[in-house]
Amino acid sequence: MYAYDKFDRSLVDIRVAEFRDQVERRVKGDLTEEEFRPIRLMNGLYLQLHAYMLRVAVPYGTMSGDQMRRLAHIARKYDKGYGHFTTRQNIQFNWPKLSETPDILAELADVEMHAIQTSGNCIRNVTSDQFAGATADEIADPRPYAELLRQWSSFHPEFSFLPRKFKFAITGADQDRAAVKWHDIGLIVRKNDAGEIGFEVIVGGGMGRTPVIGKTIREFLPEKDFLSYQEAILRVYNEQGRRDNKYKARIKILVEAMGAEEFARQVEVEWEKIKDSHIDVPQEEVARIQAFFQPPELANQDATSAVTSEFAKKNFIFASWLQNNTNAHKVQGYVNITISLKPHGGIPGDASAEQMDLVAALSDEYSQSEIRVSHEQNLILPHVALKDLPAIWADLDEAGLGTANVGLLTDMIVCPGLDYCALANARSIPIAQAITKRFDDMKRLQDIGPIKVKMSGCINACGHHHAGHIGILGVDRKGQEMYQLLLGGSGAEDATKAAILGPGFDEHGIVDALEKVVAVYLGVREDGEEFLSTYRRIGAQVFKEAVYDAA
Amino acid sequence: MAKKIKGPQMILANRLDDGRVVFFTKDGGWNSDTVFAAYGEGETLEALLVEADKSAANNLIVGTELIGATIDGDQAYPSHIKHIMQAKGPSVRADLGYQVSADWERR
Repeated sequence: MYAYDKFDRSLVDIRVAEFRDQVERRVKGDLTEEEFRPIRLMNGLYLQLHAYMLRVAVPYGTMSGDQMRRLAHIARKYDKGYGHFTTRQNIQFNWPKLSETPDILAELADVEMHAIQTSGNCIRNVTSDQFAGATADEIADPRPYAELLRQWSSFHPEFSFLPRKFKFAITGADQDRAAVKWHDIGLIVRKNDAGEIGFEVIVGGGMGRTPVIGKTIREFLPEKDFLSYQEAILRVYNEQGRRDNKYKARIKILVEAMGAEEFARQVEVEWEKIKDSHIDVPQEEVARIQAFFQPPELANQDATSAVTSEFAKKNFIFASWLQNNTNAHKVQGYVNITISLKPHGGIPGDASAEQMDLVAALSDEYSQSEIRVSHEQNLILPHVALKDLPAIWADLDEAGLGTANVGLLTDMIVCPGLDYCALANARSIPIAQAITKRFDDMKRLQDIGPIKVKMSGCINACGHHHAGHIGILGVDRKGQEMYQLLLGGSGAEDATKAAILGPGFDEHGIVDALEKVVAVYLGVREDGEEFLSTYRRIGAQVFKEAVYDAA
Repeated sequence: MAKKIKGPQMILANRLDDGRVVFFTKDGGWNSDTVFAAYGEGETLEALLVEADKSAANNLIVGTELIGATIDGDQAYPSHIKHIMQAKGPSVRADLGYQVSADWERR
């Protein structure tokens, strides 16, 4: 993991002291709310539906056991004993007091964490593949490049007041687990014919009220030009992005209006001006950062584990967990564990302080003190020996973290919705809970197979409903919560926009409608065919007839 | 900040220190429980608003907002689902609603 140097340390410490002074001045009345609001937002502090909300960055979703333990401590001491993991791989605390926020930030700084640039029209937390550096299907670990982006974008004077917020995602694997095509800039590590590392550069993706899938503007950007090219993109956007209408201000609108080809041309022109001006870091610095992300030295293990296989034979839930919640590690005898934060009947993405402490302890014992957060709102223990799985699962299960549903229908991305969010039109968590109760049978879930359900409580699409195989969007119809059903989206390498199936439903109807969609799929699927493939093969009409004609 | 809403209205805001949602009360204070909430329309509401804005000037509360109210007897309740949620707290964590969060209150 990356460790702060004196510059990082100094930056966060100074920022904490500055914010402490600003909070004191606000409380005394020396700063008005109008003056203070942009300041608190720059420090990740929102005023939400019920109270303040502090969003803490987890850079590219990687943290240590000590950092997780500190988050647990903050949840316990300053909040109400829990936190919420988000689709930007961050964590949100829902109940901090304004006067205590500087203390929270100081506690975070102590373990090399912060809340800087988790809000505002700036470059937000860079997200990445949750299995980065630990997966068998990877060209290169994307995290050193994500860290370079973090350093380059932190307090970047030119990009602190962009037309709108700006989100990067980067992956090093062919299988896109970071939804890169749905980002303002998506980066995929590529290797050219000469075996050199570079990046495919995708721009102009985004969700919200205008969903757009990003366009590739460069098939292969050499590693040495990594930062200067990003700077050129941001410069074109910063200069030409609309500032007159916040709904038209994201880069996706500019790229659509200009055309990807013309946008790419202008980026190249800008890049020519700046590419040799020392924006890119020397290779020694890249190597220095890469050194922080070297794979751990793992003891030799057998490719299979008798202990684990035997336990799986005796315990169906564990066997399901083994199948769904673990994936192949690049080293034989090891796996990456995905800890589901989607317990049936629970709140997607929430973890209690006790659960965070447990995950921290398990990481210390079994995963090199490393933890990841996925954009699908789960936690990951990488580098775990196959033989340790029964013991880990037993501990997780006892703490309510043993749900074996990763990648299945109940492993939903769900935004906080109207239970917490001031922008939401409808609640999303209770719908998710109703769905998990309806599909509580593990054997049924296994039979349905991989399917991604994503739900947002408003058009801003924090729950990624546009990218759901099944998407659900909460809307306000004359003061009543209603839900639209969307089908056919994808956030993966085959990124696709989901389409609205028809008129919306009330809170009960939407669960019934989803069940009818699943029933159609089960009735017509071919051998081994997953939901999205079936949808693409047969189209929306059959689903539409089943959902609406029988109603 | 006054929005034109027809019918009776209440005044909602957030407390500066903890951000929690409060309603302007009949005795000129702020309380999270709608049972104490003042309401009115027309000139009565305008007068309430003047009083409420004094609290904002004193840095006790932020984000004063007029919201539609439903009147039952002499009590006002928020009409819109968003404001009902604000009055009650998260529907999925009944243990965190303002009315039952005594420990939180004592901090």
